Amino acid sequence: MFDQITGSELIRAFALLGAGLCMGFGAIGPGIGEGFAAGKACEGISRSPEHANLLTRTMLVGQAVSESTGIYSLVVALLLIFVV
Amino acid sequence: MDTVALSAYLGAGLCMGLGAIGAGIGEGLTGGDAARSMDRQPAVSSRLMRNMLIGQAVAESASIFALVVSMLLIFGDYSSPTSPGPAALIGAGLCMGLGALGSGLGGGMAAAEAMMGVGRNPGAERRVTSVMLIGQAVAQTPSIFSFVVSLLLIFGGAETANPIKESALLMSGVAMGFGAIGSGAGSGISAGRASDGTSKRPAAYSKLISTMLVGQAVAQTPAVFALMVSLLLIFVPDTVSVTLSSLAAVIGCGISVGVGGIGPGIGAGFAAAEAASAVAKNPLKETLFVRTMLTGQAVAQSTAIYALVIALVLLRLI
Amino acid sequence: MEEITRQWLWVINLWGHEFTLNARTLVMTWIVVGVIFLFVFLATRRASLVPHTAQNVAEMMIEAFKGLTDESIGERAPSYFPLIMTTFIFVLISNWLGMIPFLSEPTRDINTVFPLGLIGFVVAHATSIRVKGIRRYIKGYFEPFFIMFPLNVIGELAKVISISFRLYGNIMGGAIIIIVVSELVHNWLLPPFLQFFFGFFVGTIQALVFAMLTLTYISLAIHE
Repeated sequence: MFDQITGSELIRAFALLGAGLCMGFGAIGPGIGEGFAAGKACEGISRSPEHANLLTRTMLVGQAVSESTGIYSLVVALLLIFVV
Repeated sequence: MDTVALSAYLGAGLCMGLGAIGAGIGEGLTGGDAARSMDRQPAVSSRLMRNMLIGQAVAESASIFALVVSMLLIFGDYSSPTSPGPAALIGAGLCMGLGALGSGLGGGMAAAEAMMGVGRNPGAERRVTSVMLIGQAVAQTPSIFSFVVSLLLIFGGAETANPIKESALLMSGVAMGFGAIGSGAGSGISAGRASDGTSKRPAAYSKLISTMLVGQAVAQTPAVFALMVSLLLIFVPDTVSVTLSSLAAVIGCGISVGVGGIGPGIGAGFAAAEAASAVAKNPLKETLFVRTMLTGQAVAQSTAIYALVIALVLLRLI
Repeated sequence: MEEITRQWLWVINLWGHEFTLNARTLVMTWIVVGVIFLFVFLATRRASLVPHTAQNVAEMMIEAFKGLTDESIGERAPSYFPLIMTTFIFVLISNWLGMIPFLSEPTRDINTVFPLGLIGFVVAHATSIRVKGIRRYIKGYFEPFFIMFPLNVIGELAKVISISFRLYGNIMGGAIIIIVVSELVHNWLLPPFLQFFFGFFVGTIQALVFAMLTLTYISLAIHE
């Protein structure tokens, strides 16, 4: 089926596979975590609606931090696709 | 006994085995909460029983799809030249089996919260039940997507000689199957909290439904991405070049968009759930909660979007 | 699937360079612009204190967005309100266009959506520089540690990708699903419901999300 696979082809193939695995599994955690933050922000706003702006900003900052692992996955996946 | 028939039976087994997990857990939760409610309110136990059966019946529809797909796989005709190849059949089984997980679990969780709600406030029974049913129906959407992809794989046409095309068919099933888990479970969680909110404040019924529907629609996004990529994988041309790196790209593409959708789907559903209970507490501030929910969900979904981008880039490299 | 992948291209030769234009998207964008002009013309014609239908709709939308921008941006809101409102109306009409036979959404093309995301990105960063000053703006990229600089830059760029691909993925996904399901059921009964769900419901929500995220990025740039 795949006659004469060279070493560089093998590396390229594993890099692409790795990119998919990396982004796929890397997306799980931040997704759940950020959703959790959004939920808690809604709960907080329902308790004290007058602080809605403050709470929304806190939510966004918290989400941005928890998203960083997702961005690391994205960076690694892009490196695997375009650099390796 | 050739490989095609063998793989069809393997697919059928995987399909029904995986497909039973979600509905099994979900309906168990429903039954348990119904029993707890009956313990608190023995006077309404017959109404609880009726609602429990309705809720469980809807939660079960995802695994009924799985049953249909595994029947099709078992009783298919694999001697004709137009029969699909082994990869497509295993893909169809995996797609529907995994795809039924989230919707079954989510539907069951929605029904469980509704049981507690009816027990708490039997007067609002009708409204709680209708919120539950609407929410469960939306939570079944990802499993319907999986059903469509499975049918496309089963009736999609003859096996080709190109191994990359065949693995694309397998991975399209895997992508849709995994991609449906998060959206199904997330939509179910939000439907449950909306039913719970309805029992606490039946007057806010219509506002709860609209908040829940908007939240669920956003929580479906990962499933829509997975469906899109899996259809693109199904329609990969037969003439695609056979190299090891395109095989790896196909596998990576399916896993990226499929598995990457699980977290964002559950997270977005969680945000929608909390927004629904906030609306139940304070219905006058509905627009404020919906706004916060949408912003939070949109940010929570960015990782699913990165997964989609990686999958589309990998699809280009095939 | 040919309906989706089929391209309609105009190739123009200017000064020895070839420019390829995606004609379908261009024409659809013109239609959207025309529809918006028509709507605004109808809404502002014979504007009166007792509003007529089109005027009423326009006033409702403007009031809702005015409240939103005032709340999240504060006293700088008037200079950003037109941008947010225009983005929303353009994306909304674009997403609705697919419900009409023979027309398609310009937002189905990544080339429409990406610049829209880029506009919000540029405005947010320009605002950030204006509010904080160039020194503090650049310093922000080196926090919390010096070595975080590349990741912070990629994190900012990822915002453009996520805002534009969110809209593109939803609209394109909807279009693909409608075409495949219509073929599966031989155009029987289901397609109009799907058109309504993806065009009207998902389209409206995504337009709102797009405008609100643009607003959120700007408000974060001001308040951080």
